[in-house]
Order: sequence, then structure tokens, then C-alpha cells
Amino acid sequence: MKKYLHLFLSLFALLIFSSCAREKDPNQIVIWHTMRPEETQLLQTQIDRFTKLHPDIKVQQLYKETELMRSGFIISAMAGQGPDLVYGPADQIGPFEEIEIIRPMNDLFTPETLSKFRKEALVYKNGRLLAVADKLGNHLTLVYNKDLVQTPPITDKELIALGQKLTKRNEKGQQQFGLVWNYTEPYFFIPFLTGFGGWVIDSLNRPTLDTESMRNALGFIQDLRDKYKIIPREADYEMADALFKEGRAAMMINGDWSWAGYQNAGMNIGIAPLPFITSTGLYASPTVAPKGYSVNINVTDEKLKKVKKLLDYLLTPENMIEVALATKTLPTRIETLEDPRLLNDPILINSKRQIDLGTPLPIVTEMRAIWDAMRPAYQSVLGGSITPEAATKEMQLTAERKIRELREEIVNPLWGLIVQIMMFLVVITMLIMMRKSIMNFFKYFKRDSFAYLFALPAIVVMIAVIAYPFFYNIVLSFSNMSLAHLRDWSIVGFVQYAKVFSEPQFYEIFLKTIIWTAVNVFFHVTIGVTLALLLNKKLPGSKIFQVILILPWAIPQYIVALTWRGMFNFEYGSINLLLTNVLSLPPVEWLKSPLEAFIAVIITNIWLGFPFMMIIALGALQSIPKELYEAADIDGAKWYQKLKNITIPLIKPVMIPAITLGTIWTFNNINVVWLVSNAGEPADQTHILVSYVYKAAFNLYRYGYAAAFSVVIFLILLIANLTFLRKTKATESVYS
Amino acid sequence: MKNKKNLVSNILTYLFLLLFCAIALYPVINVFTISIRPGDKLLSTSLAIIPDGATFNSYVELFTNRPFLLWMWNSFLVSGVVTFTGVALASTAGYALSRYNFVGKKSSMLGLLTTQMFPATMLLLPMYIMLIQLQLINSYLGLIIIYSATALPFCVWQMKGYYDTIPYSLEESARIDGCNKWQAFYKIIFPLASPALVITALFSFMTAWSEYIVAAQVIQYTELFTLPLGLKSFESRLGAEWGLYAAASLIVSIPVVVLFVVLSKWLVSGLTLGSVKG
Repeated sequence: MKKYLHLFLSLFALLIFSSCAREKDPNQIVIWHTMRPEETQLLQTQIDRFTKLHPDIKVQQLYKETELMRSGFIISAMAGQGPDLVYGPADQIGPFEEIEIIRPMNDLFTPETLSKFRKEALVYKNGRLLAVADKLGNHLTLVYNKDLVQTPPITDKELIALGQKLTKRNEKGQQQFGLVWNYTEPYFFIPFLTGFGGWVIDSLNRPTLDTESMRNALGFIQDLRDKYKIIPREADYEMADALFKEGRAAMMINGDWSWAGYQNAGMNIGIAPLPFITSTGLYASPTVAPKGYSVNINVTDEKLKKVKKLLDYLLTPENMIEVALATKTLPTRIETLEDPRLLNDPILINSKRQIDLGTPLPIVTEMRAIWDAMRPAYQSVLGGSITPEAATKEMQLTAERKIRELREEIVNPLWGLIVQIMMFLVVITMLIMMRKSIMNFFKYFKRDSFAYLFALPAIVVMIAVIAYPFFYNIVLSFSNMSLAHLRDWSIVGFVQYAKVFSEPQFYEIFLKTIIWTAVNVFFHVTIGVTLALLLNKKLPGSKIFQVILILPWAIPQYIVALTWRGMFNFEYGSINLLLTNVLSLPPVEWLKSPLEAFIAVIITNIWLGFPFMMIIALGALQSIPKELYEAADIDGAKWYQKLKNITIPLIKPVMIPAITLGTIWTFNNINVVWLVSNAGEPADQTHILVSYVYKAAFNLYRYGYAAAFSVVIFLILLIANLTFLRKTKATESVYS
Repeated sequence: MKNKKNLVSNILTYLFLLLFCAIALYPVINVFTISIRPGDKLLSTSLAIIPDGATFNSYVELFTNRPFLLWMWNSFLVSGVVTFTGVALASTAGYALSRYNFVGKKSSMLGLLTTQMFPATMLLLPMYIMLIQLQLINSYLGLIIIYSATALPFCVWQMKGYYDTIPYSLEESARIDGCNKWQAFYKIIFPLASPALVITALFSFMTAWSEYIVAAQVIQYTELFTLPLGLKSFESRLGAEWGLYAAASLIVSIPVVVLFVVLSKWLVSGLTLGSVKG
């Protein structure tokens, strides 16, 4: 034991010396970006060259996941901190601009400099320059495998004809598809909507989803799948990608981010504009977004000069061309578009043709509400559970409602006072109720000093970390904090709570959450305890089994959850292959129907969770004296009698805390639902309470509402657990 | 008769264990397949474990071109301290809660539990504001405190539960033999609770080892990255470096397995409680 203590102490010392809080360096520029790995590497090379030219400036670039970039930047910039530059597609700028956390750049560039950029590259709102883009794109095009397609189709008719010719068994006897893409995601559907003459939003930021064009476009996708059968029945992004990379799909609809990857994987690909829709006489037009840099509002004038230097450097024609050639994205300086290196690149030329046919993506915050409104109804149409007519109506209504929620104004100065008085009263009553305990605390402090010495450090750490965030949220739950009132929020009373309970879906999702929790915990515990009992027989080889069985716990959740998603795939997933080939059962469309998707999520979570309970049970079993079993054997007890009368009662004190906490964690476990069902798909039918609040509230910046929702979740758990603990008396020692 | 029955039950035991091992292993093997599959494909339409053109490039790349070892070292540092803090604080607090009656005992126990009930994502914003004010951004200290607080409720409760199964008579006889309160705890009860200590250590370690969301808010410099942050940098919404990601995931789980193997000596250590009449 001593040995380990020394090891830990030296570790601790090392830590103290190696990494005390790092001071903010005035010469360091921090960039947050959402670039892909190969773009990031290139950015780093360019930064290295820049810092060689300017040794006094340090630059740190940091990749952020899209969502974390958004929430992280909002949080930190509002707290007066954050990166100096943020880089990403222009559509993220909408909310940043509304919250006023980015600094307009009008004064940083001369009109002459700005005139050298394509006009789409300069993102203005109300005359303020919010972002300067170095790339133009994020647009979908038709990517085709040149080994299978000689000339790409130009019209939808040609696309279907070619698709039908190429949808067949290939030489290896495998199913080959004419076309694949992630068609279940609205973003990947937009080109057809525009091709049929529709669009999602009007100039006053109102949704335009309930239209004939939308219905025609929906019908077109259904026809591709059901009538012409040129696309797979089920395809998410990863599956479409795999089929295309394996040469089992002749054409794919994918964005500029993917092309370099296909080439690096050794594929001979071509790019062509998306087809011309003959019935409307329009080209299918994908959205196009500029990607570029914005400046944090908190950047000081002093630092701004350095930031400007860096921006100038990153936006030089030479650097832009370097990025364009390596990542197959389109640069934004007009002069670069004439560069022979670009003109000779067939991919970039066709990409430019597509961009010229593209539709600019609006940067307004309303777009988020529109995506969120489209997704469920769109997926329901594809799943066949509603008609296109019903779907477009639902999309429109949901979008309108979400935009209202986004823009809602709740102000009620009176409530501020009332809530304050109420909170004051609650604290006073609590103090009065606890006065005896408090007095006793001081009275007996000396007597119990040993117990306090032992118990307080842990409790103090907990209070230090949890208390402030917890009360902050309680206050927030009474407030109107939202996009409109992010900085100047005020207390408005119980409005947000009323909203939570009047949400029709709340009760349904609550029920699902209970089922989710009960089923998961039941299987975690039964499987865990059973395995522990078997391992505890200490048969030869148990040790090896033990190690294998903890693997689901040891491996990072994220990637295994995604592998499970793959295993549930309809056509290629191993689970359906097991069902059909070994058990001769019909295959299950796991991820397309709500019930099956929910079961899939539960199965994954059971897999992830049983090792933990197994370890706890294994530990608990060690506290049972062997003599008890020996005595029972002498009395001729059967195995189930021993289990019931010895094992279970004696492991109970250790298992109860694990089960209680396991229940709470499962109830609030957002990860698995999010990853396996791809954030609630199909059609937001696989949510539990936490994932629902996360999606509903954070997508639309409804922080007050989210806080109230969280308090409700908290209260549900609190009441459930108090009842449970009273029943099991787990807070009391078995010996007292 | 008895032997035959034992044989049957042993065979059944092995079959059951083998079945679950297969279930536990299969998805992990899938991750391994991704790590050696060329062309950064997350999914494949083939079920082969060894894909066509299998390559260990991802592993080589990880250790030669990426600061993977640095991230690993950082994670060891943070997880090591959190494990130590977790064991130290939970073993003592659990003991006090199991053995002593004091004012505030029940509310402390409930209080620990209630901290787990609030959806964690909602606590991020105020926590971040708090860390900025305490100047704990980009410092491991901030991470360690938060991770310890995350791990403690479970650890304390579970230590308390385990101490509850150890008879009082052990301390009583130790006290009679002249031990003081501290010695009775440290010399007698602490070693007896080793299975629970192992679980506490494992759990604290895992909390710190695999945490991503808080780390992503607190740590902003690549050279301070912990493993999950490094892992995430291989990924982007569309088009991640799946090969690297999978390879790194497998390597990340190795220390956990090693730790488990090392600790399992104490986890399954037939204690001789028989000498005491419970």
C-alpha cells in the first residue's frame, strides 16, 4: 500500500508543478474552427509559416465539433472570454450576430481589398461585415464513379434511366445501386425541393414549406426508392459512403467536403452538377455557404492588429489556392478563380459550375427552426406513416410554432419580485425547520469531530462544485432567458414551467423514459449479478472471462455506439444477418420505425451498462463469508434458497447504492440515445426526457425553458428516489 | 451424483460465460476492423473481420505523427490524481456515514444523491462562468475538482454500503486492543474494504479517463489535451478519420483493462471474515 501512496503523491506533486493555470498570453491568437482533419493540417502549416514571419505572435488553432463550437463560443464570449477568431460556415453567424458576440470587420479592410473577393464571400447583415470567407461551398453535387459511369446524367430522366441500368447484381454477385446518398436528412433533400421550384423561407423569414413544390419533391424521392428502385431502402451518411467507396454505388450525392477523401481512397471520381428537372425546367440547386472567419467581440484593439495580420496572411491568393487544390474547395478571391492550376482541375471546374447554379443559404437564426421542423415530418413520409400532404402541413405548422418560440417575448416585471420573495420564504422556512439540527451541529460538533473530519472533505468538494451551477439553474428556470434576452434576461415567474407541462409530447416522452430506465436497469442488474455469480465460482479461466466482460465499459462509448448503429442496418447489419441466416427470422427495419429504433437504443445501452453492475456485484459477493454457504449446504439448502436467503440480502447494502445511482444515470443518459438513434430519429420518436430537452431547447436557444425542464426532471427523480429510499432504508446501516 | 451435477452446472456456466463474452467482444472486434480498414470507412457492407487491404497504418500514424503519447500522459496525470482523491475522500466519508451518527448525516447522504439528478448538460454554462472567475480555465486543477465531484457521490455511497457489511465487532475488538479510532479504521477496516476500494478506484479513474464535454470547455490548448479531446479531434461531422479514431479508442481502453487486471487481485480476494461472527 505504501508503495502506491508514494506513486500517487509524486504524481500529485508533478501535477502541481507542471500545469498551474495558464495565464492568458496577449500575443497568442486562438482560432476555433470546424474544419475537417486534412483542412486542419493545412491550416497548421500555414500558421507555422505565418509565425515564422512574425515571431512575436503565437497562434493556436483548435477544432471544435459544430455544436460545441456554437454553445462553447456563446458561453465563453458572453463571459468576456473565448477565442479571438471563429471559423465556420456562415449559417452559424446568425445567432452570434443576434447575441452581439462578434465584432463587425468593416474597419479592418479597405473597400479596395474587399472588392477583390467574390461578393458571396463577404457576409453582411444590416451593413455590418460579419465574416470574411476563404472558401465557398458546402454544396452538394453529383459524384460518380468513373469506373461505372462514363458520362454523367444531365436531366432527372437520364439520372433515372442510368440509375436503373446500374442497379443490378455486380460481377461479384453483390447488389449494386445506381445512386446513394443520405436522403433521410432534410439538408440532402433541399436540391430537389429547389429543383421543383420550392424553397424553405421567404424574405420576411417566414417558412414556406406547405407548397406543391415540396409535395412534388417528396414524391420524387419516394419514386426513386419505390418506383424506380435506384436507391437503397435505408441509407444514412455512413452507409451511403461505405457503398460508394466499395464500388457498390455508381453515383452519390455528396458535398465538397467528401471529394478529396474519395480521391485519397484511390477512387476515380467525377463531379457533375445535380440533374435538371424536366417537369419544371429548373436545375436541382443545392445550398451554398461561404466559410470564413469572424472576430470575437472581446478582442482588444491591441490584439486586433495582430489578428488582422493573421487574417491578411491566411487570405492571400497563394494560401487560398493551396487550400483549394488540396481540399477541392473553391477559393473566394476573384483573381484565384482565373489561376491556371484551378482551371485545369476538372473537379474544381465542375464544382464551380454547381456553385453558380446554387442557392445561397440564409444566415438567419430561423433556419434552425426550419431544419428541426422539416426533419420529423420528412422522415415520416419516407417511412410511409403519413402522406406528403399531411407532412407538408405539419412541417409548416411546426416551423411556424418553433419560430414563435424562438422569438417569443415574455416580460413580467412583477414576477421578479414575487419569485424573490418566494425564494426568500423558502430559505427562511428551511432554516426554521432545520434550526434544531443546526443548533445540534454546533452542540455536538466536538463530540462528532472524528466523523466530521472524515465526512466533510467530500461534502465540501461537492458543494463547491455543484451549489452555484445548481442555484443558477433554479433562478434561470423562472426567467425568460432566450435568444431575444440572452444578456438582459429577467424573472418572469412560472411561465416556463407551464410550457413544460402543456407540451403534449411531455407525457409521452416521460412514459418512454420510465420504460427506458426500468428495462435498462433491470437488465444491467440481472445480467451483471448473474455473471458475477458465475465468475465468483472461480472456475479455471474466470480471470480471462472477467477481463473480456469488462470491455464494453472500458472502450470509449462514442465509437462503439456508432458501430452498433451499423450493426442495426437493415441490409448489411450483422444483427439482421444473424436473424435471417441463423435463426431464419424475417429481417427487422431497426432504425426506420420508432418502436424498433427504441429497442435498438435500449439493446445498445444494456450492452454498455452490464459490466459496471457486474463489477459492483463481484465486489459485493466478497463480503459474504463462505461459512454461511457451508452451513446452508449442511442443512441441505437448494441453490435458489441460498440465493434468496444468503446472497441477495448480503449483497443488498452494496447493490442498492449502485442501483439507485444507476437508475438516475440511465434516466439522464443522453449519449446513447443521441448516437444510436442519430438525435432521436426516426421523426423524433426515440427521445427520452433529457435528449428531448437538449434538442428542443438548445437548438433554439431557449435557456429559460430548458432550465425549467431540467428542474422538472430533477424533481421527478428526487421524488422517485425519496420514495425508493424510504422503502429500502438504504441510508441506514444494516447494523444500526 | 454430486460430481455429475457439478459437471453439468460447470458446463452450463462456461456456456453462459462464453455466450456473453462473444456478445461483449463482437462490437469491440468491429472497432478493431475499422481501425485496420483502409480508406477511413466507418461502415462496410462486408462482415469480414480482417478487411481487404488491411493495414496498421492508423496505429503507426497515431504514435508517429500525432501527439497521442502526450495526450495519454496528460490523461494519466489527471485520472491518477482523481483516482487518488476519489479513494481518499470516499473511503473516509463512507466510513463516517456508515459508522457514526452525526447531525446532518442523512441530509448529506441524500444531498450526495441529489447532485446526480440534475441533467448535467444544464450545469455546464454556470460551471464555465465559475471556472473563468476562479481562473481555472486551461488548468488541470479545474478538471480534477470537477471530476472528483462527479465521481464522489457514487464512490461515497458504495463505500458506505460496503462498510455496512463489515461487522462492528471488528473495530470493537481493535479498540479493546488499544487502537484509537483512526488506527481501527486504517489498520482493520480499510484493508477489509479492498473490493469496494477497487471499485471506487476504477470508477474514479474511468470518470476522468473518458470524460469529454467538461474537458472540451475547460481545456483550450492542444498540448494540454486529455485523450478524449484528442480522440474527438479525429472526427468531424462528415468525414472523420475513422481509422485513427478506432485505433485510438482501442488503445485508450487498454490502460483501463490493465488497471482492472492489476486491481482484480483485490476485487476478488476471498476475505476471511469467517473468524468474526457477524
